[in-house]
Amino acid sequence: MQIYVCVKHVPDTAAKITVKAPNQIEEAITFIMNPYDENAIEEAVRIKKRRGDAEVIAVTLGKPAAENTLRSALAMGADRGILILTEDPPDSLVTARALTVAIEQDGTPDIIFTGKESIDNAGFQTMYRLAAALDMTVVSNVAAFALEGKRVVVECQMEGGARGVIELSLPCVIGAGKGLNKPSYPTLPAIMQARRKEVKRIALDSLRIEKPSARADILELKPAVEARRAQQLKGSAEEVVRQLIRILREEARVIE
Amino acid sequence: MNPKYDAIIIGAGVIGSPIAYELAQMGYQTLNIDKLAGPGAGSTAASCAIVRAHYSTEDGVAMAYEGFKYWLDWENYLGHVKDEKGLAKFMNTGSILLKSQGHDWRKVKKHYDAVGVKYEEWDNQKINAMVPVYDLHEYWPVKRPEDPAFFHEPTQMLAGALFCPEGGYVNDPELSVHNIMRATETKGGQFIFNATVVEVRSQDKQVLGVTLQDGTRIDAPVVVNAAGPHSFKINQMAAGVWEGCNIKTKALRHEVMHCPSPEGYDYLNKGYHTSDGDVGIYYRPEVGNMFLIGSEDPECDPQEWVDPDEFYAGQGGLGRDNQLTEAQWKAQCYRLARRIPTLPIPNQPKGVCDLYDCSDDWIPIYDKSDLKGFYMAIGTSGNQYKNAPVVGAMMAELIDACEKGLDHDQQPLQFKLRNIGRSFNVGFFSRKRAINYASSFSVNG
Repeated sequence: MQIYVCVKHVPDTAAKITVKAPNQIEEAITFIMNPYDENAIEEAVRIKKRRGDAEVIAVTLGKPAAENTLRSALAMGADRGILILTEDPPDSLVTARALTVAIEQDGTPDIIFTGKESIDNAGFQTMYRLAAALDMTVVSNVAAFALEGKRVVVECQMEGGARGVIELSLPCVIGAGKGLNKPSYPTLPAIMQARRKEVKRIALDSLRIEKPSARADILELKPAVEARRAQQLKGSAEEVVRQLIRILREEARVIE
Repeated sequence: MNPKYDAIIIGAGVIGSPIAYELAQMGYQTLNIDKLAGPGAGSTAASCAIVRAHYSTEDGVAMAYEGFKYWLDWENYLGHVKDEKGLAKFMNTGSILLKSQGHDWRKVKKHYDAVGVKYEEWDNQKINAMVPVYDLHEYWPVKRPEDPAFFHEPTQMLAGALFCPEGGYVNDPELSVHNIMRATETKGGQFIFNATVVEVRSQDKQVLGVTLQDGTRIDAPVVVNAAGPHSFKINQMAAGVWEGCNIKTKALRHEVMHCPSPEGYDYLNKGYHTSDGDVGIYYRPEVGNMFLIGSEDPECDPQEWVDPDEFYAGQGGLGRDNQLTEAQWKAQCYRLARRIPTLPIPNQPKGVCDLYDCSDDWIPIYDKSDLKGFYMAIGTSGNQYKNAPVVGAMMAELIDACEKGLDHDQQPLQFKLRNIGRSFNVGFFSRKRAINYASSFSVNG
């Protein structure tokens, strides 16, 4: 069984992002593996541990520095990596086509995991385009995953806290959500082993993907304006708790 | 008429607040002025708040050990003041100093004996009985992960440890300063926040007071610089002070990492503060069963001296601002992972980045200055949190003695440590001293 996991090299959520050119950020900051992709890798590695016959291949598209994220995936338990090299930031269409060709050239996917979104562009498109190109079913924001023979049963987190249980057949594309698992981080011996694992480097041009008839470009980036304001709750402990519950329920809507 | 106090203390961090507390108890009408919004909100808040006794000099050990007594008796020190935020807690984990080439532990042991510090000698078997996750191989010299030699397999073992049972850390350094502020207020001391000093006024070599950014002038015959990483900027505002210091201070950027404990190991409740010169780091438990990993400033690590205003504004770019860097995250976590091979290392750096107010020899300046009435408690170099209550008492005595006519430069004050009963020469911390080459030139002091 071959499990491909698409990962992305993204700016650290804690980094201070500054806009350098109209459509570029200052890249001399810390980059990390897209956090949802950590859940994707973790789930793939768990399947491999349970089944014994699975190979986990991490795939990414980006600049040479994206290899760091592939090495992180390898340290977390992926067997090998594929790095599709490009200097230009690709849109979702190009990304999905490049991933499709690279995966098809490499092997026969039974499951493809991605994160439910990337935290930098948050385009919410790549996994759907990938599934369409490969003629696979796709589900996103997956919070529970079970593989039984050729059958996959997932729980998806939906709007308003609802959960849907969906059955899929293999092969399929799974968009991992935060609730899917708790990623177990690598130890130094695993990180050292990952340095020796195979990473196949492919130039984007050499994949000869079908040139899309349309493209999306980012024209301008603007720093987010922090509009939130701190609010101090006053009163006795009981009153404060009551106010807090009301805010969480009615304003933040994170509890029912 | 300008508001007038007996003493203005610039800074309301862990150094400035105890000075005010002690002066207020001596009858001085004090005012702490801080540019931030609350007590201890600056570099104090980011302190690892380690309470350990090992220092490179005997007086350093004595002062630290004196400090233990304050933390062990915190409520009493504060005069049983009520603080609506609660009291900071001393987490008395005990402190392990691994015997390694990275520390002159033989000298430390000699100082412990001279001062009377309680300690035990542990062999490797004892260390592993107390901390089963430690791999006690020797990894010296300290290297960075970019160096292939970092990953070489070790062949030698460490030679045990000195264990100091009274050591540990304070769980909330910022809260500890809030506690001191409340205690100071009961003695009549006052604090103002969000107030930036832009001028130290003087006339005929006597300090007169300060001017704030909004134009407010406040007068006092005594002004104390306890401005932490901004100390050199304050010294440069005071006539002749910067020029009169043989030892200077500047702001050094520092990163501290938070890494989860290995699965199944309750480091938060069962772990010890550990100084590990063999791999150039120290570590202590942190909330969430995390390891807090600080750096002991090994020679192979870069040092970034920064402008504190630019740093706190997040300016200066990668490695010069207040954001963690991936390179240092790896350096500190991987170093701990050599000691604890089962340590899980997250992909995303987590921790704190702040500044040391570092002196030329990493030993503080606790002194008068060449401007009459202007005093300095600066250059704490990341290693004085534990000493802060002692510094408060010592500085108050120094200020009072000088104001009453002592020529501290000619006849240095002999300060008696209240708890351990030992006296030492405050001239040790003089601004006029030559660089002290007995220092470790690191956070170890």
